This record gives sequence, structure tokens and C-alpha cells, in this order.
Amino acid sequence: MRTGVIGLILPPTFSFLEMMWRICPALAVGCTVVALVPPASPTPLLLAQLSGELGPFPGILNVISGSASLVPVLASQPGIQKVAFCGALEEGRALRRSLAGECAELGLALGTESLLLLTDTADIDSAVEGVVDAAWSDRGPGGLRLLIQESVWDEAMRRLQERMGRLRSGRGLDGAVDMGARGAAACDLVQRFVREAQSQGAQVLQAGDVPSERPFYPPTLVSNLPPASPCAQVEVPWPVVVASPFRTAKEALLVANGTPRGGSASVWSERLGQALELGYGLQVGTVWINAHGLRDPSVPTGGCKESGCSWHGGPDGLYEYLRPSGTPARLSCLSKNLNYDTFGLAVPSTLPAGPEIGPSPAPPYGLFIGGRFQAPGARSSKPIRDSSGNLHGYVAEGGAKDIRGAVEAAHQAFPGWAGQSPGARAALLWALAAALERRKSTLASRLERQGVELKAAEAEVELSARRLRAWGARVQAQGHTLQVAGLRGPVLRLREPLGVLAVVCPDEWPLLAFVSLLAPALAYGNTVVTVPSAACPLLALEVCQDMATLFPAGLANVVTGDRDHLTRCLALHQDVQAMWYFGSAQGSQFVEWASAGNLKPVWASRGCPRAWDQEAEGAGPELGLRAARTKALWLPMGD
Amino acid sequence: MFAFANLCMYFRGTYSVWISKIQVNHPAVLRRAEQIQARRTVKKEWQAAWLLKAVTFIDLTTLSGDDTSSNIQRLCYKAKYPIREDLLKALNMHDKGITTAAVCVYPARVCDAVKALKAAGCNIPVASVATGFPAGQTHLKTRLEEIRLAVEDGATEIDVVINRSLVLTGQWEALYDEIRQFRKACGEAHLKTILATGELGSLTNVYKASMIAMMAGSDFIKTSTGKETVNATFPVAIVMLRAIRDFFWKTGNKIGFKPAGGIRSAKDSLAWLSLVKEELGDEWLKPELFRIGASTLLSDIERQIYHHVTGRYAAYHDLPMS
Repeated sequence: MRTGVIGLILPPTFSFLEMMWRICPALAVGCTVVALVPPASPTPLLLAQLSGELGPFPGILNVISGSASLVPVLASQPGIQKVAFCGALEEGRALRRSLAGECAELGLALGTESLLLLTDTADIDSAVEGVVDAAWSDRGPGGLRLLIQESVWDEAMRRLQERMGRLRSGRGLDGAVDMGARGAAACDLVQRFVREAQSQGAQVLQAGDVPSERPFYPPTLVSNLPPASPCAQVEVPWPVVVASPFRTAKEALLVANGTPRGGSASVWSERLGQALELGYGLQVGTVWINAHGLRDPSVPTGGCKESGCSWHGGPDGLYEYLRPSGTPARLSCLSKNLNYDTFGLAVPSTLPAGPEIGPSPAPPYGLFIGGRFQAPGARSSKPIRDSSGNLHGYVAEGGAKDIRGAVEAAHQAFPGWAGQSPGARAALLWALAAALERRKSTLASRLERQGVELKAAEAEVELSARRLRAWGARVQAQGHTLQVAGLRGPVLRLREPLGVLAVVCPDEWPLLAFVSLLAPALAYGNTVVTVPSAACPLLALEVCQDMATLFPAGLANVVTGDRDHLTRCLALHQDVQAMWYFGSAQGSQFVEWASAGNLKPVWASRGCPRAWDQEAEGAGPELGLRAARTKALWLPMGD
Repeated sequence: MFAFANLCMYFRGTYSVWISKIQVNHPAVLRRAEQIQARRTVKKEWQAAWLLKAVTFIDLTTLSGDDTSSNIQRLCYKAKYPIREDLLKALNMHDKGITTAAVCVYPARVCDAVKALKAAGCNIPVASVATGFPAGQTHLKTRLEEIRLAVEDGATEIDVVINRSLVLTGQWEALYDEIRQFRKACGEAHLKTILATGELGSLTNVYKASMIAMMAGSDFIKTSTGKETVNATFPVAIVMLRAIRDFFWKTGNKIGFKPAGGIRSAKDSLAWLSLVKEELGDEWLKPELFRIGASTLLSDIERQIYHHVTGRYAAYHDLPMS
């Protein structure tokens, strides 16, 4: 069902098409839109006037022309259910921090830079045309990072310089120009970038027939920029192309993925196998093979990493404006006096348990990291009590060092796991389901001690096993869907794993929720670091004993301890790719605030309980959508 | 003419370095072709100037089975006076010697063409097609003999057709040798090599054939005979122009380009001029390096100029037949 009122914020230089691609899907699913546009553009106002003429529904599109200072005002209006922000990185970060805990969801589409990978088996002249499309025209949104294979460096540079010399810049209405101007602010930005690049030793080449007045800037080619220089870390502004060499395809992938931005990229190679390998390996939202800048409203366009994770176009674009039916609207959990600096910083100390009565419980569980149980860094454990107050067992107190170790182990296991075929992953999940069923009596008795009735406990265990099998089957059945676009050739919508997923399980349903969150994450190829239910982590640790024998090391890691402290460590970790938090409202707010660090996608429950035993909430399509990210792979055909 | 003796001997080495690794991506070239047509438009008096320049590039052609001396004579006169005198006077261009670049006919009609041009007092060259035009599927001996006879009759430019079967079977060295023989048979005459790109199969083959034709000594490379199903299109032209530019970078020699077939409207001709200007630059916009093979194009250009001068659209009978 639809989300509600959308607040849309557009950057100072946006194209009409981009604006339509964000407004139309929102209106089509039934949301209404309030758009904040920079004061210099009259087009959205004209659009709003047209929409106002629709008799029965005058208010579906509203446009406010205002400066960037109105952004936080719009975002924190009480009636807005979702804010879609499109613009620069730092503003997106600031908005994420300020909207933590508010009832509005946030979708970010940041950054304008793209990447072009030129191998030695490419048609170099056509790739140069791709560079022109990407950076030296009005079609591309921003600058370009150009990676050229060393063996064709000289040829490519020569052709680039020749082509640059033929570009013409001028006012848009003159019928024979290639590129126009983007305003004084953009001009200043690029001048600063080029000056810094020169001072750091890069070679800068500018050419083309460009008027010398202010807002016009000539096409620029920067080479020999040392990768460690500060200029190379920043996003490349329009109309600059920064060229760097690489030796082999593997090195190209490392260099290309070695930046926090993950918007769009193109691969130029006439060898199909090499082109597909590079296309699959790039961590971006859109990959074009032997083309650049193709867009279509039926193909999802978005990014990953610091390019934000909101999508427009295709089914993912529609999902942005929908939420699962039957779930209540999000409530604001804002608490104004949450101190982000001290939340979860110190672990509250627990008094040692009193003298033990009755048969002594098993030795304390360690942390399950890297496929085996290890002692925690802090070398302390805390007692877990059952429903009648008796001692149920001891679990380890994990800390920041343990989280760091767990995330490292998960990263080590990730390439192997993501490379497995869906069938292999399904087989492992089914094996775990079988192991759960073999352990039914132990698990049921532990649940009974926590106050669950025997019948219900057994049903919970059975349901957990069923869920594991169901997710395994779901991933088996999923193929790469073909998107229809106005292109001769296929466009694939790939679903790729996110990376390392951090999951903080809810207190209730200690076994079922743990399994319901673990199964989709693993099924889609992610590796997981989990903080199990604080009330009774023992059930999760029982499952770990099976995972120790069945799963590859590091695939699923379980860290017990103080939930707020561990949440803090995970949320602030820059190398965790996504986070699911089902704890308190304050924790949810902190997690949303902290995700601004590396802009990881966050799913927080905000303190609302969730009916894990219901199909819709415990095993619905929402979990599948959130456990993977989309990539659009364009394959123009023809010879 | 330039000496390529050392290239003869080192064909294999040059081939592997210059040609064998070439890749051309068809969809990308198609995209570039669409862009060029949309992005460089010329209007008003500049358009009239470009059209007059386009006239000086035309090789006025008649290649039909029913050519006789009467229509050849008419053609030659049209070549001398391509645009009506009063229109040129209105543009103040009547004394600039605007004629077409050449007249192109079948080998049997070369004598008639030379006679007609001499009678008109005009020294524009007569180009003859040769080597089994248009299909090229005759014995090498007769093909070479055709060239020699045409040169004897007075043709100063020869348009030869390459042997497409050599391209399609990958016999590049044999193709190179054949074109060198054509070159020798031409002697002092200007050699234009028609690649018949509509029958070469892929853009990569077009590039390779262009390179080999240039290496073997052609003065011009030409897209097509005008008799294929697909003649001169922008994607093919882009590939050939890139080959010309690469050859210039490697050897310093400028080879000319001629699209032929399918160029009928004045707007098309302007698009072709901007294509050459974009890809190769202003130095190639001279009759020595650029020709357009066309027959009905001239009347459309004349009608556009009539419209520019008078503001009215001409009827068919207002302008002299060619």
C-alpha cells in the first residue's frame, strides 16, 4: 500500500526528466507530493500549475521554490511520511542525522559522479564518445572517473584530446552546441577542484570552443593525479574527467570499487566474458556494457554505498513509495534529549549472581565468531534468568573488540558465500533446518523454561525450520529478471547481496525472530553479525552449535552482551553494509543517526513489536527486498 | 602519389600492428551517428554558403544502362554551370568559378564526356568507374584492362570496386595485392577505391578494408557503388573517417573520402559536410579530399538556393535539367 505524503527535494542542477521520474511514480501509486526546488527554475512551478488544473484533486502536486535552508524545515513537517532527497553528499548526511527518530522515512540519492572502465579490447573511439556522453555534454549529471588499461593509454589519451578539441559550448538554444553551463556555483566548484589538482601535480588539459564568460567552463581532462592526493578522494565535478591507468582487469575492479561512491559505471570491452565479469564485480547501482548514460523509466536506477540507496524507475522505484500492507504507519520515536555521544558507550555493570542453587548449569557460552566459540575480549559473562527467576545459564559479554573481530570474520567469509550458487546456499539452509528439527526437544525445553507452553514451543521450533526451508527455496527459484526498455538488447535486473549485515534481534520470540531474520539474509548471499535476544540468547547459541559444524567459518556470527553497547559498535562501524535493528525506540533513533557515517541502509523497528509468527510480518516479501540490493545491467546488442 | 615501397614488403608486420586488433562497436557508432545529425544545424546565409560549397564537392554521376552521348553532353554542361546564372549573381558568387568537382560515367562513355567538356571549355576531370563495376565479379585480367582503357580514353580519375569475396573470406594480403595492381594500372590517374560497405558484413570489416585500401595507395576511399541495397549511411562513414584519421596519424598522408548513393536532399549534404568537419577538420573540406557522389542532389541544392534568393519555392521546370 502507498506511503502517504512525499516530500521531494531536488538539487540545484536537476534535469526535467529526473524530476518527472521521481514525481510520476509517486503520484501513480497514490501518494501526493510536496517538492522543494531551487528558486532559479520555473519548470516545476509550471508543472504544478498544470496539475492544479485537474479538477477533482487539486492538491496532489505542490511545489515550493526555496533555498537549501528550507530543507530541514520541510523534512521535519509532521504530515510527511517520506522524504526523497536528491543532491550532494554532505547535505544528505546532515539530513540523515537530523531526521533520526522522526516519523518520516528517508530516501537518499546522492552524488553525480560516474565511472568508465576502458579495457584494451574496447572500441576506443566509441569509448571516447562514451566519455563525451558522460561528462562533456548536457546528458551527464556530473564528472567522470576514467580508468584506462595501460596498454591503450597513449591511444586513448590522444583520441580524447582530439575529441575534446571539437566540442562546442554555448547557450542551449544555439542549435550547434554540445554542452551548456550549470550555474555560477558549479563553475566555482570546478575551478577550485582544478586548481587543487594542479597544485598536487596533476596535468590538466582544457580544450574546446567555449565562450570565456563566467558560467561557461571548458571540458577538462586531468591525468597523473596521484591516487593518495585529497583531490582524488573527492567527487569529480562536472565537466572534469580524471583519468588513471590500470594494468589488469582485477586491478581495475579494485581501483573502481575503492571509492565510497557507488552510482553508475560503464565497461567498454568487446570480449563478452570479460565485460560481464567486470559488470558483475563493480559495486554500483547501474552498469552499462559498451554504452554510457542510457536511461529508461522501466529500469531501476540507483546506487549503493555512499550514493544512497534510494531508487527511481522500475519496480524498485515503485517500492520506494510503498510499504507493506497491514503494517501501521511509522510513529515518531523522537526523543530530543538522546545524547548520541554517550548512548551505549559504557556497559552497565551487573552484580555477580548470588550463590547457585540446584544442579550447576553448563559452563558459560562464548561468542560465536568465525565458526567457533571464543572467549570475549572483556573476559566476563553475565547470567541469564528464566521465567521463574532461576539461573538459566551464563553468556559472554561482548564488546567493541569482539564486534570488530566478528565483522572481519564476516568479511572474510563473504566472497566465498556470495560466489556460491543459489542451490548451494539453499542446501546449507535446509541442512540447518534438519539440524533444528533434530534438536527440537532441547530447544523446546529451553523455551519452556522461559515461560512458553510446551505445545507452543514445539510449534515455534517447527515454524523456524519451515522458514529456513522456505527462504532456501525462494532464492533457488529466483532468476535474473529481464527488464523491458527501449533498447535493442537485454537489460538485467540483478539482485546482489549487500555484504555484511548487522542484525539486532528483538527480545520477544527468541528463536523464531532469530531464525526469521537470519534466513533471508543468508539466503541472498550476505554474511551476518547478530546480536540475539537480550532476554534469552541461549536459544540462538544452541543453534550456533549446529552452525559450527554445518556452515563455513564466519558466515553467521553471534555476539551476546549489552544490547545498547553492541548496537553502538555496529551502527558506527564503517564496514557494515546494512543494519536491521529490532530493539528500543531510543536505539532505533541512535541507529538511524549513526548510519549517516557510511550511509548504510537501516531498518529499525522503533520499539514497535512485530508479530513474528504471522506470515506477513515474519516471512513476508519485505524481508526479501531488504536483504539484497538491485543492479541494472545494460547489454546493448548489435554488430 | 606517395611511395609505399617499404610497406609492400612489411605488410604482415603492419597488418598485425595496425589492423588485427581493431574492434568496432556497432550500437555505439549508431548512437554517435544519430547525435551528429541532430547537433550541428546551419541556417540562413551560412546555409547558402555551405550549399554552394557542397556543390563544389559533387561528382556529377550518371551510371545507367541507357546513357548515350546526348545525356552525357547535358550532364557535362550542367557540371560547368551547376547553378542558374542569375541566382549566383544575386549571391555575388558568379565569378568564383563554381563548378562541380568531376563528372562520373561508365568506361564506354568516357570519350563522349571528354569531348563534351572540351566543347564547353571546362577543365574539370572525368572520372570513370572500372574493374567490373558494380559487382566486381570478373577476372582480374579484364578488370585491369578496363582501367587501362579508361585511362587511355582520357579519364583522369578511376573509381575501382574491391573484391568483396576477399574481405568476406579474410584474405587481406590478397586484397592488398589486388589494389596495388589497380594502382599500377592507373598510372598517373587518381584512384578512388569503392569498398561497397553494404556488402562487407560488419563495421570491423569496413575499417580493415579502409585501412588496407589506404595502405595500398588509394587517393580516396568511397563508401559504395550506389547500386547496393544499403549505400552511404552515417555509421559506416564514421568508421571510414576514423580510419582516415588513424592513417593520417600513423603516416602523415591525407586520404580523401567520398560517400555515394542515397544522398538526395540538400539537408543530407549539409549533414555530411558537418560530419567530415567534426571528425576530420576543416583541412578535409576541399575537393581534393572530399567528394559527394550524387545525381539528383544538385537539383535539390539548386532549389534551396532559389528559395534563399527569392523566398519562393521553385517548380520543377524553373531550373535547367541535368
